[in-house]
This record gives sequence, C-alpha cells and structure tokens, in this order.
Amino acid sequence: MTTEGEVVVRLERLRKHYGETVALDDVSLEIRAGEAVAVMGPSGCGKSTLLNMIAGLDRPTSGSVTVHGEELSTLSETRLALFRRHRIGMVFQFFNLIDDLSALDNVALAAQLTGTSAAHARRRALDLLDELGIADRADLYPAVLSGGERQRVAVARALMNRPAVLLADEPTGALDSHTGEQVMDLLLDLHQLGQTLLLVTHDERLAQRCASRVIAIEDGRVTGERAMEQSA
Amino acid sequence: MRAVWRVAVAAARRRRLQSTVLAVVVMCSTVAIVVALGLLEAASAPFDRTFAEQRGAHVVAAFDRAVVSDDRLVQTVEKQTSEDEPAVEAVAGPFGQAVITVADIGQALPPGPLTVVGRADPGGPVDRVDLWAGRWAGKPGEIVVSRPAEPFFRELLGATVQAEGGPRLTIVGLASSVSRTAEAWVTPDQVQAMSPKITQMLYRFTEADTDDDLQKAMTGMTSGLPGSALLDWQSYLVVKQDVARTASAYLPFLTGFGILGLLVAVLIVGNVVSGAVVAGQRHIGMLKSLGFTPNQVVAAYLTMVLLPGFAGCLVGTVLGGLAAQPLLRLVFQGVGSTIGLGVGVWAYAVTLLGVPAVVVLAALIPASRAHRLSAAQAISAGSAPRPGRGRRVQRLLSGARLPRSVSLGLGLPFARPGRSALTLAAVIIGVATVALASGLFRTMTAYGDTAQRVGHVHTVIHVGRPDQTEPKLDDAGIEALLRSQPGVRYVTADAWIDIHLAGRPGRIMAQFLRGDAETRGDVLVAGRYLSGPGEVVAPSAFLRRFGLEVGDRLTLALGEAHTSATIVGEAMDTSNNLIMVSWPTLTALDPDKRPTQYEVRLAQGMDVEKFNAAVKTAEPGLYPATKSQIDESGVAITTSTSIFTLLLGMVAMLGVFNTVVLSTHERRRDLAVLKSIGMTPRQVTVMMVTSMAALGAFGGLLGVPMGVAAHRVIVLAMLDAVGLTAPAFLLDVWQVAELIVLMPAGVAMATLGAFVPARSAARMTIVDALHTE
Ligand SMILES: Nc1ncnc2c1ncn2[C@@H]1O[C@H](COP(=O)(O)OP(=O)(O)OP(=O)(O)O)[C@@H](O)[C@H]1O
Ligand SMILES: [Mg+2]
Repeated sequence: MTTEGEVVVRLERLRKHYGETVALDDVSLEIRAGEAVAVMGPSGCGKSTLLNMIAGLDRPTSGSVTVHGEELSTLSETRLALFRRHRIGMVFQFFNLIDDLSALDNVALAAQLTGTSAAHARRRALDLLDELGIADRADLYPAVLSGGERQRVAVARALMNRPAVLLADEPTGALDSHTGEQVMDLLLDLHQLGQTLLLVTHDERLAQRCASRVIAIEDGRVTGERAMEQSA
Repeated sequence: MRAVWRVAVAAARRRRLQSTVLAVVVMCSTVAIVVALGLLEAASAPFDRTFAEQRGAHVVAAFDRAVVSDDRLVQTVEKQTSEDEPAVEAVAGPFGQAVITVADIGQALPPGPLTVVGRADPGGPVDRVDLWAGRWAGKPGEIVVSRPAEPFFRELLGATVQAEGGPRLTIVGLASSVSRTAEAWVTPDQVQAMSPKITQMLYRFTEADTDDDLQKAMTGMTSGLPGSALLDWQSYLVVKQDVARTASAYLPFLTGFGILGLLVAVLIVGNVVSGAVVAGQRHIGMLKSLGFTPNQVVAAYLTMVLLPGFAGCLVGTVLGGLAAQPLLRLVFQGVGSTIGLGVGVWAYAVTLLGVPAVVVLAALIPASRAHRLSAAQAISAGSAPRPGRGRRVQRLLSGARLPRSVSLGLGLPFARPGRSALTLAAVIIGVATVALASGLFRTMTAYGDTAQRVGHVHTVIHVGRPDQTEPKLDDAGIEALLRSQPGVRYVTADAWIDIHLAGRPGRIMAQFLRGDAETRGDVLVAGRYLSGPGEVVAPSAFLRRFGLEVGDRLTLALGEAHTSATIVGEAMDTSNNLIMVSWPTLTALDPDKRPTQYEVRLAQGMDVEKFNAAVKTAEPGLYPATKSQIDESGVAITTSTSIFTLLLGMVAMLGVFNTVVLSTHERRRDLAVLKSIGMTPRQVTVMMVTSMAALGAFGGLLGVPMGVAAHRVIVLAMLDAVGLTAPAFLLDVWQVAELIVLMPAGVAMATLGAFVPARSAARMTIVDALHTE
C-alpha cells in the first residue's frame, strides 16, 4: 500500500524552549514520502510545536529540520514563506479560513499568492472543491458553512499547491464525531493517493484509520513508536 | 471608582502601542496648537500689544530749550493734570535731547547723526523702553543704542563710538522703544554735556484715537507756552501706520495659518481618539460582562484615552512653548518689526484645557455608542470586522488581474468603512493642508513682493531734515546727481505731505510723485496709473473707507490752497490714509514744496551699498536707506510654512499609522493564516501599505480641490479684512499641472504612515494567532 520513498522530513536533535518551558527536547525522527504519521500525546506535550517547526512557522532553539532537502534554519523569512507556499499544506483545528473571502477564493488564494492568474487559480480551486465533494458550496462564506465543510475547504486550500507534506493539527478536534468521520475519510483517501501526511491527534481511532505509523510524545520527548495495521 | 481607574490604567498599559500613538498624535497636535495660538496672538495687532505693554507715548514732543525751560514744562503738566477731567493720562520728561554725529565703527550701527536722549532709567510712566540686552547707561561715557531685538545686534555691546567733537561712548545696552523716542540714550548728565537744543516730553492722553484727538490734546498742553516753544511733535498713529505698512502685509496669512493649524490638530486628535475607543469595544463588552455599569464603562474608557492624551498634551505644551519663540521670531523676522513675541499665558491655559476637552469629546461619541451595546454585541463588534462588509468588493478584487497582495490590500478598507472614513478624513486634511500651504505661501510671497516693491525699488534716498545735515544741492541737483550715478535705471522723486480732503475732517497723507513713478511697482486692481496733472491713485482700503471709487473727483487742500483731482486708479495697498498724487498737482497747491525722498531702481546686479556710499560721499545731506528685498524674509516664510506643513502632515501620517496598527492588531489571525500559506513578508507589507495607499490616493483626489477651495476662501476673507480687493494674481497661484502633481501627496503620506506598522505586521510571529479560536 505505502511505497516507502525518500525521506521528506528529517528532524535531528530538535529542541525548542519557551523561556523555562521545554516544549521539545531532543527529538529526532524521519518521515518518508507516502507515509502517514500520527503524533499522539497528552495536552501540552509539544505536538503543535513539532508541527510548527516542520512548517517553518517557528524556529528551533537547537537541532535541525530538513524538509524536502532544505535545511530550514538556513532560510530567510522570505525563503521560509516560499518554502511553506510550495512544500507545506496546513490544516488547523479551527480551520483558519479568511472570513471575508468565499470558500472558492479562500482556496484560490493559496495559488494566487504564487502569481497564478485568478482565472486559473479559481478553476483549480473549483476542481479541488469538487473532488472533496463541496463544489456546490464554493460561493458561500465560511460563516455559513458547517464545521466539516469548513475543514474540507481548509484541506482544499492546503492541497492547492501540491505540498510535499500535509500537516494537520487536530483536524477533527472541533468537529462532532460524524463530521470528524468524514474528514478522516478524506485524509485516508489522500494518503492512499500517495500524499505524505503528518497528523496530530488525541483520537486513537483517527490514528488507527489514517496512519501507518504512530509516534508518541510526552514532555517534549519521543517515548515510543509503533507501526499500524491498516484497516481499510 | 477605584475599579474604573485600575481598569483604565491596565487597559492603557496593555495597549502600549496604541497609547503611545495617541500620546504622540496629541503631542504633535498640541505643539501645532500652541504655535498656532502664538501666531494668532502675535499676528493680531502686534503694534497695539507692544504699545500697551510699553505704555507707549501717544505724542513725542520736541520743545525748544531756548524758548521754554524745564521748570516751565513741568508746571504746565502739573496745571493740566490737576484739572477735573485731565486730558493727559501720563507724562514723562523733560529729557534733554541732542544730536551727535558718530563715526563709522564698522558694525551694526550706521555712521552719521544719532538722536540721543538723556534718561536715568528705561522705565517710567510713559515709554517703558524694552532693554533687551546689557544694562542702562549709569554714568557719563555710557550709551544705550536703540536696535530691534535680534541676537545679531548683540555684537554691539562693549563697542565704543566717537561722537564728532564730543565724548567717546561705550555701548552698555541695547533697547527698543515702540514709540521710537530716540536712537540712543545716555544719562541726563551726559546729555547736558552734549549741548542739547531740544527738550523731549512724552505724553499719554485719555483720548487718543484719532489725529484730531491728539491735535486737541496738544493744543491744550501747549496753551500757556510761547507759540514757538513746540518745535515738532510725532503722533503714535504715524508710527503705527508705518509698522502696519510692512508688518501687516503678512499678518492675514499668518492668521490664516494659525486657524488652519488649530482646525487640523483638533480634527486629527478626534480621529485618533475615536479610533482608539472603537477598537476597544470588545474590551468594553468584557467590562460589562464583569458587572461594570454602563457609566463606569464610559468612565473607564474616557480615563483610558485621557491618560496618554493628557500626557501628550503636557509634553506638547512644553515643546510648543519652547518651539514657538524661535519659530515666531523666524516668521516675524521677515516682517521686520521689533514687536514683542511670545505665547501668552492664556494660550497655555486654552491648550491645557482645550486639548483634553477635545479628547474627551472625541471619545464620548463612540463610547456612548458602546454604552448602548449589550455585552455580547460589544464583544462581537470589537473582535473582528463585522463579516459581510465589502464582500462584493473582495470578490471583484480577487478576480482582478492584480498581484494578490495588492488586491487583498485594496479590499481591506471596505471591511471597516467607519474607520476607513476617519483615516480618509485625516489624509484629506493632510493633503488639503499641503495644497493650502503651498497656495498661501505663493500668495504671501506675491503679496509681500508687491508690498515691498521687490525688484522695483532698491534704495530710498532721504533728504536730510532740518535736525540732520541739510543738502547743499537743490532738488534738480539731487535728481541729476542720482541719475548720473552708474547703473541707475529709474528715479522717482516723492514728497510726503499731510493734506486735507475738502469737506472731510482729518488729515490724510499724500505722496506726490514725479519722474519714473510708474516703475515703483504699484499694483493696480482697477483703472490706470498717474499720467498727468490732477490725478490720484488710491489704495483699495482708502476707497473703501471713504466710499469712493475710480472716476470720483476729490478736492485736495493744503493750507489755504485747493485743487481738484480725479481718482484714476485703485492700487492694491492696505493703507486707508494715503493717496498717491501726480507731481503737477502739488505744484498747483504749493510750488515751493520739494521732494522728501527719491526712490531708485538700479540695473540688475548693481551693488546697492556701493551706490548708497557714492551718493553719501557726493552729498552728505542725503540719507540713503537700502530697501529690504524680500529674499531673506521669503526664506523665513518658506521655512515656517514648511515647518507647519510638516507638523500637520506628520500628524496626518500618524493618523494612518494608527489605523494600520489597529487593523493589524485586529487582523492578527488573518495575517497569520496568510503567512502560514506562504505569503512572504514583502507581500504582507505590500498588502498593508496598499490598503492605506488606496485611501491616500482617494484622499489626494479630494484633498487637493478642498485645499484650493480653502485657499480661495481664506485669501478672500483675509484680503477683505485688510480692505483689499483681491487681484487675480493672488488667487490663481497654481498651474493645473502643479495641482496634479500635488495629488500623489496623499499616497505619499499614507504610504509613509503605513510603512512602519506594515513592516512590523510582516515580522509578527504567527504561531499563537493560529492555534486559538
Ligand atoms: N508561544 C509559546 N510561548 C510559551 N510557551 C509555549 C508557546 N507555545 C507553546 N508553549 C508551551 O510549550 C508546551 C508545548 O505546547 P504545544 O502547543 O506544542 O502542546 P500540544 O501538545 O500541542 O498541546 P495541546 O494538545 O493542548 O494542543 C506547552 O507547555 C506550552 O505551554
Ligand atoms: Mg496543540
């Protein structure tokens, strides 16, 4: 099912301190192309911090983050932004859509920032929304969409620039179990299409269904790792 | 109440940036206000103020010592003041007065005759001389020289002057007298040693509004004295007229500037304060949900803006006070008068009470709106821009062929129409100020040039008066001498003579002109210039005062002689007591009258001082005086206009700055999202700057015509106030192309104001904003 390819994400001896707080402590791990990895652990153990480091949203205290061959600590802010634009797709617990833009424009935005023409970006956005089954919601605004629909718009936006890795921080955390289920299915589909996936969750079922590997974190340290039997 | 205070202090602290911006805006505006008030004060009747301060002399009288003794003069005064309703209010004197001739000391004191008065001190009941440097003459051998209060003259202190055939005198003090009572002062003993021929008396009268009042009072004053005792007397009205002719040229425009500064400062403070309160609505909601009563909430908010507001006001008042003095000096130095400058206590009082009052008022309107909102409404109203606004625009823009950061930026102002309108207002005001300032500057320069006859008259050669050296050459000889000098282009001879208009009370001044009068640079707003006998050109203000117009006939009276003349032209001039008359008309009145001065224009590039020196050498009875060419004061006016424009422009920019700070704060999450999907720092900066530049462009479009309209209104009002008919060259001061060039000023202002907060938005850390709901 998962053809293990080259290493897409490599963390080496990664540390992140916030003043006295140690959010990540000596974390090393690798994620290969096509893998779907779930990160699990108690609240405050450093899961979001880990994701932020990989996305280049925050800089490590020490250690290195290499994504798709690029060592992030050597990149300027502008290069980091370009890196996020082309290599990373992010999905958040609380969707983080822009309220004043329609679903379609939210998705198209990601491509438009790269200079893609509006018409072209909208066409691709509509295709994506169609694939995710919400093409009929394209012209609505986030405020009137359901949670699941919003999260699908967010996923579409994340996929817009064909990212090397899709990062999802508790994507079902703000959804009821039924819509959560739908989003899970969506992620599973993406994984099966070959999308590399790194997923933070509290939800054992989500990990079970979507991930090929689970990494456990406690107090900023990796405490365990297990491969998953894929249930389809 | 304590809770309200604590909440307000905490809120002001937490929004440190906001509070700082507010304080800085209030501070800049306060500086502008203090300077503007100082300007208004200085520009409103500077002569009258100084005259009152110094208890100026209504009449400076010169008595012949050979005819009347000091005791006799003192007795006359005692008799006058002991009457039931004395006409005289105060008297100073008798003071001995002598004329000495000083040699050239190569410094800021011209050689030649110097009128010296013996006085024991600068104070007294009349003419409290402003001793602005050094000290008063305390013993023989010391002299105090009359000079305008310019630091430049300080170099005279300590210098010695040699009186021809008299003592050596050390300059120990510099003083100025608005009544122009002397050119220098020495001790009474010293003046006795100079064989004084004149006794000076200084009078203040209870009735002194008109020439006739003064005439009547002087008749009373001298009634018991021999007819030949009073040699001459000088009315303060003449001095006033003289000051007004130079100084008042600029006053209306400076007044206009002062008023403008006040308006702009008040508007922008209002803008920023209400912005701060609107931004605080979410907080208002929380306070309500914590159980604060609506009134407590409003009180907390007022306190929150008043804390930085008052701090800014205090600092601004101090800075304004410090800045005003040099600034006013700079402005008025071009005006060339020695009036006292400074900011009155009233101005500080008005500022310290008025500015916080504006802050409170500006805060009250939005705060009372918040007062009416329910807690939940307020929380949601303040948290983010109300969704739905400007969506149609956003949709259009997102399909536009523009870089996405630009189109997103263009859409931002529509999300917050209220605040955008306030910001737009700030920009419009800023642009209008720039336009207005440039217009007023041009009008002022054009007007000043005209009033000073720049480029028309370079030097005025006065004929020595009986108390000076009188010329040996006669009128024709003098004119021939002047015309024979190298580089002379035009010479106009004029005689200044008091005449009457038949059928009207009072004296008026007539300037009889001969020679190249049409080259003097008189600007006509109607009719034509003098060309033959019996012709008069009158200033607009004069025509207004007497209800006359071009074409009317006047009968001029000089003593018993009468002649009639026609008003052939109206000149742009603010004197209401002066007419210009062709020379043959004077001949008809009194063939023996001679010119009192000659106005000379030299060829381009000729050295005026050299010319003056040559004239003086050829005929010591002539007194050349270089006519100030406006250049230096032009520079001063430019500087002060620029400073004011800069100050107001900066305040407008701070308005934009404030808006961007507020909106980045509110849009923290959106900005974080945009960055997380790959918006580069540069794109963020472009987006935020674009959002303001769009407003700036619009502001420029509206601001320029508003500035032009305001210019017209102000110039018309001001010209009207000084009795001038507005000639087109004072109103139409711009080329269309120049106005078009002014329009981007709004964009520039907005861009500059937005740049710093936009950059810090681009650098903002984004992680926190992303993970919270
Ligand atoms: N910006 C920050 N400043 C200070 N401390 C922070 C910051 N971000 C995270 N932390 C701290 O770092 C630790 C890890 O936080 P992180 O958000 O990564 O936890 P998490 O595993 O995602 O928790 P949750 O499951 O609740 O989302 C926590 O103790 C948190 O308080
Ligand atoms: Mg987390």
